Amino acid sequence: MSAAIGKDSALLEVLGTLPEKFVVDFANGIDVSRDHIAVQRQRTGMFDRLCDGFTGKGQRRQIEVNASLADGVAGSLSWLTELTGSLAKSNLAISRVKQRVVMLQGTLTEVAVHAGNTREQLQQLEQHLNRRADGFEHELVRIDMVQRAGIHLDLVLSKWQSGVFAHLPLAGRCYAALEELRWGAFGDFYRNTAAVQRSSHLELLRHRALGQLAADARVAGSDRIDTTGWLSTTESVRSADLEEGLAYLGDWATAERAPFVFAAANVPYDLPMLLPRRCSAERLAGALVAEVFDGAEA
Amino acid sequence: MSGLRVGLVLSGGGAKGAYQAGVVKALAEMGTQVEAVAGASIGALNGAILASTPSLAAGAARMEELWQTLATEPPLKYNLPAYLKLALAGGMTLSAGNLDVYLSRLSALAGVNIPADFLEFLGGGVFSSGPLHALINRYLDPEALQRGLPLYIAAYESQDGRSDLLAALAAEAGLRDTRPAEFFHVQSLPPAQQRDALLASAAIPVLFAARKIDEKSYTDGGLGGWIASQGNTPITPLLESGIRNVIVTHLCDGSLWSRHAFPDANIIEIRPQTSIARGGGFSDLLGFDQQKIPSWIAQGYADTRACMQRVMDATAARDALGASEKGLTVHDDSLPVLDADLNAAMARLRR
Repeated sequence: MSAAIGKDSALLEVLGTLPEKFVVDFANGIDVSRDHIAVQRQRTGMFDRLCDGFTGKGQRRQIEVNASLADGVAGSLSWLTELTGSLAKSNLAISRVKQRVVMLQGTLTEVAVHAGNTREQLQQLEQHLNRRADGFEHELVRIDMVQRAGIHLDLVLSKWQSGVFAHLPLAGRCYAALEELRWGAFGDFYRNTAAVQRSSHLELLRHRALGQLAADARVAGSDRIDTTGWLSTTESVRSADLEEGLAYLGDWATAERAPFVFAAANVPYDLPMLLPRRCSAERLAGALVAEVFDGAEA
Repeated sequence: MSGLRVGLVLSGGGAKGAYQAGVVKALAEMGTQVEAVAGASIGALNGAILASTPSLAAGAARMEELWQTLATEPPLKYNLPAYLKLALAGGMTLSAGNLDVYLSRLSALAGVNIPADFLEFLGGGVFSSGPLHALINRYLDPEALQRGLPLYIAAYESQDGRSDLLAALAAEAGLRDTRPAEFFHVQSLPPAQQRDALLASAAIPVLFAARKIDEKSYTDGGLGGWIASQGNTPITPLLESGIRNVIVTHLCDGSLWSRHAFPDANIIEIRPQTSIARGGGFSDLLGFDQQKIPSWIAQGYADTRACMQRVMDATAARDALGASEKGLTVHDDSLPVLDADLNAAMARLRR
């Protein structure tokens, strides 16, 4: 008994329907021709040739071979025609693809150029934005410094106003406040900003110092009093430590180059020659501010 | 997927009919759907087995089983009286070979009924049809055949064994063709005649006795239309029934049956790729033995695969070409839209 028969899926798929007649005649005709030709090769003896000639089998076999070959040629022509048509379609499709490739290449070039330009513009924009960002950063730093300088100014003057420097002479109070400002945020602002920007702050400082000096001396800002009055203090409130500290801070000042600071820091018995003998709060504040911030920086 | 739908022609060729068991096995593996079968001689018997089975695969298995049996139990049993007549008297016996006919006519005139088997015993072929009867009874289910695939067989109206043989020899010599074979639709015959029709189609003259169908004697259908193998390769009834796709099997080298005589039919011929002859002539015709039969089955299978493969390869290549050609236009419909979109995008870019 034979083994169970399974379906040959490859053949089943191809031969789901019988192929066209010309394909069958073309392919199967090869088997027909080979079968006849094999017999022809065997029948080459004299008797066989006589027999085939007499019976007509030889001629009929040759007719069959010829007919199969003719079928093959006809099938070849059909197939070649079909193949040529298909090739023409393929070539046409390829030419269309080529056209599209050329068109797409042009478009792609355009897009690539545009992308290059866009990239350059983006780089320029980046540089511009970086500059703007740097500017903003500087501005922020500056604003921060302005803020901190203003706060520092308020803080120091409020300390002065509250009497923290009350143990010092009037001019010493002002000088102490100015030194504290010079070494703090106000000083940083002064050293890191342009002259135009810092002038207004110095002006403000001058006014505030003038006001506080005048208030401490209980005089008007423009009232000139004896200069020693600005430099002296009563024994009851005098602090030797503070005076020494003040002298230490003002050791950079000389009687010639910064007479007001020199006098305020050292409280000399002999007033420097360049120091006026009578002086208003306005004159004292203006001179101390100028000497501490301009003179000291110089 | 439904397979290839075809008509199947099984030619005659005696013991070489084993080849057709291999053919049918290969066709079954390919998923072929046979719509009708036409056979002559041994092809008629093979066709009957095939037609009476529920599927081609079952038919292939049944045929292979039958032919393996035939390899070990040859269906040839000498009919002694006829054999002695042939062996001892040669031509004289042939001239007196109508004894059964005379007896039959005399019995009819006298109103005496003589059993047909006795007449066959007296005037039949060299071989008894008894073993064939037994095989048919064993392997063929008459009811299944009646319900099965349409089966057409070729039979040749017999004059007598001697005349039939001489007519065939004359046709073989190219002097005069034999009369055309007649084709019978087996399922249309009365059940009682179906077995006789099959035996008639396979009744090689002289070797087997002719059989009667409708009061006419018929013998091997392969004798009909000898020159063009009209009877031995019975494609005609299939074409007349409207079938256009046909697979034709041949049981000889270089069969002169011509596909070109049927221009409207789409025919795949299964021809031997190497010689089907094992000993040649009668030794092949009656070669029911354990060497030849398995080799013919194997050859039929291999030849069918080879012949079908050639058609398959050509078809696959052509289908692939067609499919690739269709693929060229698959996205054509969307191109205008894509072009318009691209142009619009480029126009925006250029602004």
